[in-house]
Amino acid sequence: MATSKEPSPLLELRGVTVPGRGANRLEEVSLQLRAGERVALLGSSGAGKSTLLAVANGLLPPPAGAVLWQGAAPARSRRLRQRQRARIGTLWQDLRLIEELTVQQNLNAARLADWGWPKALANLLQPLETEANGAALREVDLDPALLPQPVTALSGGQRQRLAIARLLRQEPALLLADEPLAQLDPRLAVELLALLLRQVTGSRALLLSLHRPDLAGDFDRVLALRAGKLVLDTTPAELNPDLLRWLYDPDPDLDPAATRIGPP
Amino acid sequence: MTTTAWSWRPAAPLLPLLPALALLPLLLVLPGLIHGGGWELVAQFAAAAITPSLDPLLLRTALAGLGITVGIALLGWALSLALGLVGGVLSSRIVWRTWLGVAWPASAIRRFLAVPRSIHELLWGLLLLQLLGLKPAVAVLAIAIPYAALVARVVSDLLDALPTAPLQALRSGGAPAGAALLTALGPALLPGAFSYGGYRLECALRSATLLGVFGLGGLGTELRLSLQSLQFHELWTGLWLLLAVMLSLEALLRALRHRWGMPSRFKLTTAGVGRSGRELLLALLGLLPVLVLVAMALEISPAQLLAWQPLPPLQANWPAVLALPWAALVATTLGLTLLAACLAVGVAPLLLLLVAPWPWGRLLLRAVWAMGRLWPPPLTALLLLFVLKPGVITAALALAFHNLGVLGRLLLEACEDTADQPGSGGAEVALSCSGCGPRLALLYGRFSGLARSYLAYGAYRADVILRETVVVGLVGAAGLGSLLLEALSSFAVDELIALIAVYALLTLLGEDLSDRVRQRLLSG
Repeated sequence: MATSKEPSPLLELRGVTVPGRGANRLEEVSLQLRAGERVALLGSSGAGKSTLLAVANGLLPPPAGAVLWQGAAPARSRRLRQRQRARIGTLWQDLRLIEELTVQQNLNAARLADWGWPKALANLLQPLETEANGAALREVDLDPALLPQPVTALSGGQRQRLAIARLLRQEPALLLADEPLAQLDPRLAVELLALLLRQVTGSRALLLSLHRPDLAGDFDRVLALRAGKLVLDTTPAELNPDLLRWLYDPDPDLDPAATRIGPP
Repeated sequence: MTTTAWSWRPAAPLLPLLPALALLPLLLVLPGLIHGGGWELVAQFAAAAITPSLDPLLLRTALAGLGITVGIALLGWALSLALGLVGGVLSSRIVWRTWLGVAWPASAIRRFLAVPRSIHELLWGLLLLQLLGLKPAVAVLAIAIPYAALVARVVSDLLDALPTAPLQALRSGGAPAGAALLTALGPALLPGAFSYGGYRLECALRSATLLGVFGLGGLGTELRLSLQSLQFHELWTGLWLLLAVMLSLEALLRALRHRWGMPSRFKLTTAGVGRSGRELLLALLGLLPVLVLVAMALEISPAQLLAWQPLPPLQANWPAVLALPWAALVATTLGLTLLAACLAVGVAPLLLLLVAPWPWGRLLLRAVWAMGRLWPPPLTALLLLFVLKPGVITAALALAFHNLGVLGRLLLEACEDTADQPGSGGAEVALSCSGCGPRLALLYGRFSGLARSYLAYGAYRADVILRETVVVGLVGAAGLGSLLLEALSSFAVDELIALIAVYALLTLLGEDLSDRVRQRLLSG
């Protein structure tokens, strides 16, 4: 038996159940996400993808089951829990940029978990950490000259990139993305997906809920939810039209046993 | 390397907190204002809160007083709404333009309505008291006159801000002016107008209490007598009853606003269309018999308003009036307004940031702010006199506490709006999810979006405070208010006329300034 201890998964859900109807429901969901993994989460609208991500980032504490971040349950102490959550970055579908602030201030908002009040207040008075913010913008192919601009001056594509740059400024270990490519034109969707996948280095993992299965090809792993249940855990290569039809068809004939549940 | 210039221009989340800087000089001068005695009285007052008098006779008196106060508020409010709607339509530019093709009559009526608006309900009450004698109708009219002018202004603003395309479409289709106006603007006006009307009812209850404090009947009179005779247990009996009515009314109006999809106070400028016009109409019809019963119970009849008392002969001494220290009076009044407004506007978000994340923080804030709204400023001023010397700062504290109650509650409600809409809490949730503490998440995620509309409302509130400076005149706060109350009680009619004119002019200028600030904030 091997003695070397394997590092804890960045995210682990154990039998997570969220009772309810429709899109808010999860049933006995268990999964693990390890460093370096790029995982796509598929499922039709209302399958529970957003609920799963809300459980994963701590927004929705599950009534039953457990969520573990790097092997530890959410701390009881608020401060410790904040430290844990600072390691999880979420890319929201509506981006949730702070419209009244500049690009620079928005990027710095990602550092608030680490900053004390003096620095947080100073950020509202003067530009801080220009170097690091410029680098984050370059990382997402944006011009650092945008730093002093108000967020409202950006185009749709620039806003998407800024949201990713803000995520990078947070320096999270676990990246969660809730349908970030929905409502984007096909070319931009492909560009941004490549950008996001590029961020997953050795110590990071990505869980991205995806509306379009055709974009799942570059992921390492594909999970799928159906009516709140995790019904698929496989590789992109194993996705086939029958499987997808069963996944997205509300009344399928396909035998669920044909699918493979478990790590690839 | 990219370099960015230092700006030192505060970003949006800091703006609501900036007025709280007024606390710094205040904390420096406050120790000098504290006088020796009185702490024992304050302690007795606080202790009496948990042991109000339950004497049946007193309870009966307090309930009767409360009934009169609520009745006055309800009648004054209903009358002001009816008159205000008519006044609002008549002072709307779009109505005149559609009707006669010109807008100048709207501007003329607007200017005329600015006069009753600029005079505080307390002054109306005390003036009408001279004319009509002591009867509930005086308090009803005192509320109805300035409130009607305020409602008219808001209604005409709302009407003139509505999109004109539906109206033009109807007119080009041959619809007559009246029918086109009613169809195109009527339904769109209702949500904003009635939401504002609801807030006016809350204000009317506070005004009716205040008028009572100055002897115009109702619970306010009982409260003042109890305070002045240091009967704190009796005082708290009345206060708890009033608090119960005030909170019930606020909860009812909030529930109705939600049900009928009406905009909150901060969002009145962008009113949408409500959903349930029929229910609203039924509610208004149901209110009519209630109003008639209240009028009968208070023995109010239109005939009372025609029986005028003879006024004392006017003995004018204009040179003496001119010799008054006008510059100092105006400066003191403005200073009092500015200090009270800064404290009220700045301390509400500051306290929200500091206290809200505590386990019972929001409940505590609700309680403090309810007390602020409940407690009429002149009574707060009297209470403060137990420990502070009379003067501008004592008066400013009393005004600030009352307005803090109003602003704090609206701010807290705005912060508790659903997080699903863009800009209304999503950023706060996102920040919390990234490990940010609750205070910084509130500051960055909520205050950013609320800053402009909050400050715009604060500008309006400053305008209200300027009018209200008269009510704290009785603590010797100097300024126009004190002199006005003196002139009223000594029947110095010449001085009274001059003071009211200056007051009206000042409040009109203040209103204009606050309008400009608000427009700049909301459009910028």
